[in-house]
Formats: sequence, C-alpha cells, structure tokens
Amino acid sequence: MTVWLAAAVAMVAMLLPLGLMAMRGSTLDRLVTLELASATQTIALILLAEGFDRDVYFELAVIMAVLSFAGNLVYARFLEHGL
Amino acid sequence: MSPRDALVAVFLGLGVLVTLLSVVGVVVARNVYQRLHFVTPGAVLGPLLAAAAVVAKETFNVRGLQTIAAVTAMVLLGPILTHATARAARVREKGDWRLSPTKERDR
Repeated sequence: MTVWLAAAVAMVAMLLPLGLMAMRGSTLDRLVTLELASATQTIALILLAEGFDRDVYFELAVIMAVLSFAGNLVYARFLEHGL
Repeated sequence: MSPRDALVAVFLGLGVLVTLLSVVGVVVARNVYQRLHFVTPGAVLGPLLAAAAVVAKETFNVRGLQTIAAVTAMVLLGPILTHATARAARVREKGDWRLSPTKERDR
C-alpha cells in the first residue's frame, strides 16, 4: 500500500466517528458533521486519485468540492427557519 | 526514499493528523458553535496540506492544477458555509441573527 492509499484509508475511516455523530445530537450538529465529512471525503478522492493513478478522480474531487458547498448551504438556509 | 517522497509523506501525515484532530474536536465539542470552530482546520488546513503533497509530487501538471482548483474552492467557500451554519444556529436559537433586532430597527 502506498502512502497515498494509506492516507486515503485514514480519511475514509474518519467517516465512522462522523457518521456516529450524525446519528445523534441536534439537527445543526448533524449539519456541521456533514460539512466536515464533505471536506474529508473530497480530500480522500484526491488521495485515491493519486494512489490509483487515475486522472478522472481528480475531476470528481473538483466537482465534489463545489457541489458539497452548494448542498450544505441549501441545508443551512432551510434549517434556519424550520425542520 | 528521495527528498521529494519524504516531503510528500510529511505533508500527508500532517494533513491526516490535522483532519483527525478536527474530527475529534467536532465529536467532543459541547455545542454547535464550538463544533464550527473545529470544522475549520479540517476543511481548510487539511486540504491545503493534501494539495501541497500532490503538488510536491506532480508539480503544476493537470493533476496538480485540478487539485489546486478543488482546494481553492474549499478554502474560499468553507468560511461562507461556516457563517451560514452559525447564522442558522443563531436564528433557530434567538429568532433573529442580529444582537438586538429592535434596537437596530429603531436606529
């Protein structure tokens, strides 16, 4: 296993505590957890792309960085007044 | 191991460490405002260190530039998201995001 894949595995493993955290706590606590999970998994995509030597995964990381921001922002705006 | 490989390993190790500490902070923090403080290192510093590792290996080829694009988006947009989340938390808690809505209206 290369150093890239080892780092990617560590990043993906961080989904476990974040996932557990997302199952408890208030609605906004869960949103904060989702924000951090989006960031860690975008990094994981970059590391996997480098580890597996695949160019196309880098594009996925760019798309995920932008779309996860938009998704989380929509959640934040909706949660401001309800749910 | 070449100096470049060592540099990559250092950047990756630091990136994983910062992100891990950020995750631990989010899990143990007591409320949403404290949690937001712990998100920032994991959403800004972690990606910057990962991007530094990729650029150290790939230099400024297509992979390096795409990584820079992704991390630039995360670094620029992350604080906006943090602000929106904090604002949502305050509106849910107090009914308005301003310190004192009535005083500001009268001003």
